[in-house]
Amino acid sequence: MVVELFHSTAALYLLAGFAALIGVAVPKLRFGRAVAWLLAAGAILHGIALARLHTLPNPPQLTDTPSAIALAAWLAVLVSLALMRSRRLEGLAMLVSPLAFAGVLYESFALNAYAPGVAAEAGSWPHLHVILTSAGLALLGVAGLAGTLFLAEDRALKAKRAPALRRSLPSLEALDRVNAMTLAAGFPLLSCGVIAGMLWTQGETGHLFVGGAHAVWSVIAWAIYLALVVARFVAGRRGREAAVFAAIGFAFLLFVVIGIGAVA
Amino acid sequence: MKILLVGMNHRTAPVEVRERFAVGDPLPWLAKLVDSPEIDEAVLLSTCNRVEVIAAAPSLEAGRHRLRSFFHRELGQGAPLPQQRSENAVLYEHVDGDAVRHLFRVAASIDSLVVGEPQILGQVKEAYRIAAEGGVCGPLLNRLFASAFASAKRVRSETQIASRPVSMARVAVDLARQIFETLEDKHALLVGAGDMIEAALVALRGAGLAGVAVVNRTPERASELAARFGATAHGLDELPRLLVTSDVVLTSIGVDRPLLDAPLFEEALRARRRRPIFAIDLGVPRNIDPAVNQLDDVYLYDVDDLGGVAEANAEERRRETVRAEAIVQEEVERWGGWLSALQAVPTIRRLRARAESIRQGELEKVVAKLGLDEAQQRGVEALTRAVVNKVLHAPVSRLREQAESDGGLAYLEAAKVLFALDDPTAPGADADAAASDERGDDEACS
Repeated sequence: MVVELFHSTAALYLLAGFAALIGVAVPKLRFGRAVAWLLAAGAILHGIALARLHTLPNPPQLTDTPSAIALAAWLAVLVSLALMRSRRLEGLAMLVSPLAFAGVLYESFALNAYAPGVAAEAGSWPHLHVILTSAGLALLGVAGLAGTLFLAEDRALKAKRAPALRRSLPSLEALDRVNAMTLAAGFPLLSCGVIAGMLWTQGETGHLFVGGAHAVWSVIAWAIYLALVVARFVAGRRGREAAVFAAIGFAFLLFVVIGIGAVA
Repeated sequence: MKILLVGMNHRTAPVEVRERFAVGDPLPWLAKLVDSPEIDEAVLLSTCNRVEVIAAAPSLEAGRHRLRSFFHRELGQGAPLPQQRSENAVLYEHVDGDAVRHLFRVAASIDSLVVGEPQILGQVKEAYRIAAEGGVCGPLLNRLFASAFASAKRVRSETQIASRPVSMARVAVDLARQIFETLEDKHALLVGAGDMIEAALVALRGAGLAGVAVVNRTPERASELAARFGATAHGLDELPRLLVTSDVVLTSIGVDRPLLDAPLFEEALRARRRRPIFAIDLGVPRNIDPAVNQLDDVYLYDVDDLGGVAEANAEERRRETVRAEAIVQEEVERWGGWLSALQAVPTIRRLRARAESIRQGELEKVVAKLGLDEAQQRGVEALTRAVVNKVLHAPVSRLREQAESDGGLAYLEAAKVLFALDDPTAPGADADAAASDERGDDEACS
């Protein structure tokens, strides 16, 4: 039942992604509202699926990479919906939806192979670590996607391909603002998540930092974001530069969470 | 009743002819028109690109002759049309369906010089308002213009005919909106004081920019322009300082070499913490070094770039015209259906009058013969009225429906024969005169 819920969620995200793509390509179809509704329906189903999953007897651990990814995808969709309500950001759904789709599908495949074994790890540090990190990942993910969209639009404007741009796409200034907002909210959450992870490690091993691949790469990713925050909010870098950093930072974070997480 | 349209537009008459026929206040002219027996209703549309009269006339030939003479002897103040053009080439004429289609195309901005321009619908509405308030517009033109506005609304909402700007100034504002989230807190810097700058100033002010600074070699001209548009005037020496606070920079000034270069922009960007600048160079030779476009956070468009965008937008509008024409065609057909239904009204009115006359005649006989009291009379009155209404309901409904179809006229003729409506000796024929006096237009509208 839970797997079916995840599959339905994935289908809704995929539909939202297609609708957003068509809406940008053919603005006269005015798909903006349909995209928002599909994404919202997906988010509701996603929330129900997560709640059902984690109230099962012997559920998968929240600290498992697929579970953490699914949680982050859900939070990213919620953040995107909140932004879409206040700004002309339907174009962002074009990038958020496929990523959310991939995250949910990843979780559903992992669930198919899941066999309940030992009881889940107890204690609040692991859960806090995952929730905070997932929230940070979601916000920084939206920042990265906004940065990617910014770079595409910037390139089109510079190349005088403006007619190819559609009014349904957000303005550069709106994307830059989204980038700043999500970075400002996402970095503290990521930092708290890293600290919670260190406290969890200390509880397990007696040391704050044990130096495994996941821990080392996570600290590197955090340091990259620290540099980005300093560049953005202290040195006043914005626009194209900030967009490049946000896109690279998010790609690196994905590599750490999925790539290193899978290896670890 | 015939619908006639006679006029001239940018395709048939040059501006020196159109300006001679243009009128400021159309009402006195319209009053003269409808005072003549050949014209019942009229609307005069006079814009910079067209002068047209659309009228309802009882007779085609008389109405046509009256409208042509109106253009020749009254509107043009008797001045002859240009020698190099024949009368037919300057004045066009449309009748009935063609006139309706022409009006719908005009209102939908398909017939405009710049396809999709938004002003024409407002101008058509204004022309109609003047005619309606002046009492020179009757039920036929009221309905026709309501249909024209509905058709134009459909074209605007169902096609992209007006969604993309085609003038340089509007293209610049549209591009600015792709860069900035809002223009209401943005400042513009205009370098120059010529016609291009003035047109841009109008568009930028219309877009709601917070502030505009005008810089010119001749301060007097800059001051004059600034005063007219609520902007501030400055000398060329203030350019570097103004560049720091300006989000939109628009230049059109005569110079031998670029006035603004990349180092100047880079310095301004640093000072404004890399907030983006949208630079539009309309000068030839160019006023801004093209290398400026290589800088991050500056978007430089020259006159060719804007022209390219405008042309691409115009092409898209032309493609949308095909869909707009299809909508207009649908609306013209709908109008045709309504007009056909209107033709059924006299027949239906006559049929009802005949039936009513027969009913009343028979009722009088019965009352006299049976000596009914008042209550019984009321009962019989209600009974006979109900019977007549029920008997007539089906044929009247069918006549209305069929009148809108292609073979509608045959049904009307059949009804006349079957009910002997053309026979003055038939029972109830004495009611025909009364039926003819009534106005039944509203009936057909229902």
